[in-house]
Amino acid sequence: MSRILFGRRLTIAVAVALSAGLVAAMLAPPDRVQGNLQRLMYIHVPAAWLAYLSFAVTLGSSVAWLWRRQMRYDRVAAASAEVGVFFTGLAIALGSIWGKPTWGVWWTWDPRVVTTAVMFFVYLGYLALRRATLDPTARARRSAVFGVVAFVQVPIVHMSVVWWRALHQPPTVLKPGDPSIDHVMLATLLLNVLAFTLLYLLLLRARTRLAAVEEELETAPLGEGQELAGSAVLAPRLERS
Amino acid sequence: MKRYRLLAFSGVGVVAILAGVLFFGNLNDNLVYYLTPQEALDQRADFPDGRRFQLGGFVEKDTVVRTQDGLRFVVASGTEPGSPSVTVEHHGAPAQLFQAGIGVVLEGSWQGGEFVSDTMKVKHDENYQPPDSGGDTP
Repeated sequence: MSRILFGRRLTIAVAVALSAGLVAAMLAPPDRVQGNLQRLMYIHVPAAWLAYLSFAVTLGSSVAWLWRRQMRYDRVAAASAEVGVFFTGLAIALGSIWGKPTWGVWWTWDPRVVTTAVMFFVYLGYLALRRATLDPTARARRSAVFGVVAFVQVPIVHMSVVWWRALHQPPTVLKPGDPSIDHVMLATLLLNVLAFTLLYLLLLRARTRLAAVEEELETAPLGEGQELAGSAVLAPRLERS
Repeated sequence: MKRYRLLAFSGVGVVAILAGVLFFGNLNDNLVYYLTPQEALDQRADFPDGRRFQLGGFVEKDTVVRTQDGLRFVVASGTEPGSPSVTVEHHGAPAQLFQAGIGVVLEGSWQGGEFVSDTMKVKHDENYQPPDSGGDTP
């Protein structure tokens, strides 16, 4: 398990799964009403799924940090939120591109669209909060609380199309009962969801490792007696040291 | 620690007030994305000619007629015959997926007994099927 998660195999698995997903998306039958436009679903839905998943992982590791107070949980929470913000933005952009030919508009004040945009900006705020707090422990604590509270939006986004009258269609797969989609299309969609989930693991891993290295660099002592940029320049001092 | 407690309490308070206003305040008139033909007819008095709102429903079969600068058709609350319906005069090009039987959301206002719209959005449903399969069409 650890070799799959931490070795080079994950990269290969992502490449294979994404290619297979792309081929399947091209081969799947077109939709009766939307024709080929419906193929956008095979990336729009996985992108939105990754947004949910990332913010759930941020929630989990934020809780873990509050409980255990170990910095690695903070790193995972931050990395996951960053990936989540990217895929939320991607889902909004793809939804807009899908919306123009099907709905007829790029943007509308529909509950699903608006709640997703709010979620995007709130998690951008999470990333901004991390940037604005210098002390690592204070940063971890504040963002852990933020990461827990902000997750309330995920169920709101998902249920928005059920709770309120919307232009966006209600869920097809994540709802009680049989998914109202042709089973070849469903298999293609699930393959792409799997491929995107693997991609998420890869991105999360890379970002978490980077955060660990960054932290090491931040806490590393500046070599005593070593001149940073020649003797003409004074070594810069970190504010908190 | 005390400062944090104060912050947390005020944060929770603000959230509670917002949630209360959202769920129990009378915001519903502004939160509704569109009115169905049934609701539009019931609330006709609240929407005098020229007051804009969004009307959503299904395009009734065999009612679509091309006019000089748009379309005329009937929008009904449901797909079954006899459900409450409103005649719509739409100015402008129809959306790409516009067809008899599909859901539409129109933006415009009453003009006498007709709804005059200038913006059309197509509301497709959550069912996806290949073209040659049987079953119910949207």
